[in-house]
Amino acid sequence: MAYVATRGGERAIEQSERLFREEMGGFDRDRVEEVRKSLPYLIDRVMGEASLYDEDLAALALAQTGGELYEAVLLLRAWRTTQPRLQVAAPIEQDTLFTHRRISAAFKDIPGGQVLGPTLDYAHRILATDVLQGASYAPDPVEPADTPSPAYQPSVSAWQADNDLLDPPAEDPTKGNDIPDLTREPLLFPSKRAHTLQSLARAETGGVLALGYAAMRGYGQAHPTVNELRLAEAEIAVTHPDGRQFSAGRVKVSQAEVVDKKGEKLGIGYAATFGWNEVKCIAAATLDLNSPGAEKGSATEEEFFLYHTEGVESSGFCIHFKLPHYVTFQSSLDAMRDAKAKKAGQSKSSDMEPAE
Amino acid sequence: MSLSTLTKPWEAMSYGFLDGSAKRELRRKMLKSVAVPGCQMPYASREVPMARGWGTGGLQVSLTLVNPQTRVKVIDQGADDSVNAASIRRFIARVAGTPTTMDTLEADLIQSRHRIPEEILREDQILVLQVPNPEPLRPVQPNMSIARQMHADADYGRMWLQLYEQIVRSGRVMQGASYPSLVHGRHVMTPSPIPRWDVPKLHMAKHLTILSAGREKRIFAVPPYTRVEPLVFSDVPYKVEEHGHLTCTRSGTTGFFMNEIPRDDGTSSFEVSDSEWGVKTIRARDGDGESRGETWYKNGEMPQ
Repeated sequence: MAYVATRGGERAIEQSERLFREEMGGFDRDRVEEVRKSLPYLIDRVMGEASLYDEDLAALALAQTGGELYEAVLLLRAWRTTQPRLQVAAPIEQDTLFTHRRISAAFKDIPGGQVLGPTLDYAHRILATDVLQGASYAPDPVEPADTPSPAYQPSVSAWQADNDLLDPPAEDPTKGNDIPDLTREPLLFPSKRAHTLQSLARAETGGVLALGYAAMRGYGQAHPTVNELRLAEAEIAVTHPDGRQFSAGRVKVSQAEVVDKKGEKLGIGYAATFGWNEVKCIAAATLDLNSPGAEKGSATEEEFFLYHTEGVESSGFCIHFKLPHYVTFQSSLDAMRDAKAKKAGQSKSSDMEPAE
Repeated sequence: MSLSTLTKPWEAMSYGFLDGSAKRELRRKMLKSVAVPGCQMPYASREVPMARGWGTGGLQVSLTLVNPQTRVKVIDQGADDSVNAASIRRFIARVAGTPTTMDTLEADLIQSRHRIPEEILREDQILVLQVPNPEPLRPVQPNMSIARQMHADADYGRMWLQLYEQIVRSGRVMQGASYPSLVHGRHVMTPSPIPRWDVPKLHMAKHLTILSAGREKRIFAVPPYTRVEPLVFSDVPYKVEEHGHLTCTRSGTTGFFMNEIPRDDGTSSFEVSDSEWGVKTIRARDGDGESRGETWYKNGEMPQ
């Protein structure tokens, strides 16, 4: 046969993947364990964006992709979507969260107290270059307070609702499998409340920040005050087929409530996600705060920010432009050349017949 | 009775990767889209082990339709050996155990990005087109909820206006690929970014075409023997790319859609875009037997 039907493409893609993987070399359970232990905030971010809470799988995805975040999240999402939905856990009330950190910028002190918890907020951001000279970095031990802060605390918005400062959202009686699930049905607009919160929970951190920041800078109508920011652990309560309820363990969660004055009451924006990711929650809650009544096509309109902060979709579409586009390009060229030829023909004829 | 009799042995993944509930949803949405030709049906669109925008919509449809006997062909921009086509073909074969082929006539299911093969498809074949943007109204209305309402009202005035403005400004309709087309006299759809050359192949075609956008989560279909009419004014006829007279420098075939290859001397040469058609032409030329089927275009023209 004169013209062998090209297996070149398949060989090339196989080798290109090998080239990528060669740089990281092989890896084993120890490396996954090391990633999990040393990079908890990265693990949290990936678990949030994947909407899959499993530290080991998140660490595995990071190890397998060499830290290519979008790839890691896609790996986890593609794994997650094949898993059966066995149970819907019981709803979590705010005052049942085992709280590590909980602050409010709205009041100097709040019922339950300001609890700083773990944060780098007040750290001096100085690179520990001496580690590269051989020094080891040993953080100073934490000195426990005389009286530990309460592990369970009410929400600030509950106090505001009691004092007629805001109208709490109506309780949603939807239960179990009737709760809309974004991963099993399409997102349509106006979006169901559950879909909005789920979509923000698994949004890409950088994307939410970019649009949330735009809203904060003035492209939104509402200026956020951080009513409450919380890093906590939530108990996952599920029901055994025999009817007994039991705990399937705790997961790290973060949530933010931001408020702004809307007439005589406060408007409230809310977001929560798996893992501890404060930036994402504040930015997402700001978008939520701004979305009621936002102009169509503006960055704070629900359809705009929910579509454009979906990391798997946005990153995938962005890199798809690397794929060949010969056909579409050729089709455009054809129209351009023809239009140009027509124009040239027209101007020639008008040169000859100026009266026309 | 024991638990083991009620369950099946553990497997790393479901047949065809997608689980039963995902396939069921897709089947339902495919039936709906066949029932209302050209109307976009929203679906959940699961993540698959490939990046969004790389054929995940087409892939979900293919994975739902295949069984171990389905002979699958995958093309990208007309070519079977394009890297992403090779990757998708390998994936389907890996997770569904399907036989694969490059021959259009042998295929039961053809997943394609941006082309319809040059050989006429039969009633027993299904064409799955990958769709980056399912919304023909996007250029005039980027907001999807408003666009949805416009489809419901068959409010296509702005589409016509856009085409009219192009004619006024440039002397012709400037739409390259994805030429908006009216399906079954009701819904305007994008035929996906196939060239204008390929759109007439959908009109009253014998085969079923399913168009699926994974990232945008929309599925729509052109059932067999359905009208697909490009939006044109009665006095400005539809124009396909002027490729009818071009000759492929590798195979010598003339009268089909070509890839333009820029040359060092400032000129261009051309290669037939449907790579398997090129291969078949070369085989026939070299005396390896005739395997070419009947084509939609004859002598570079689409018979009316």
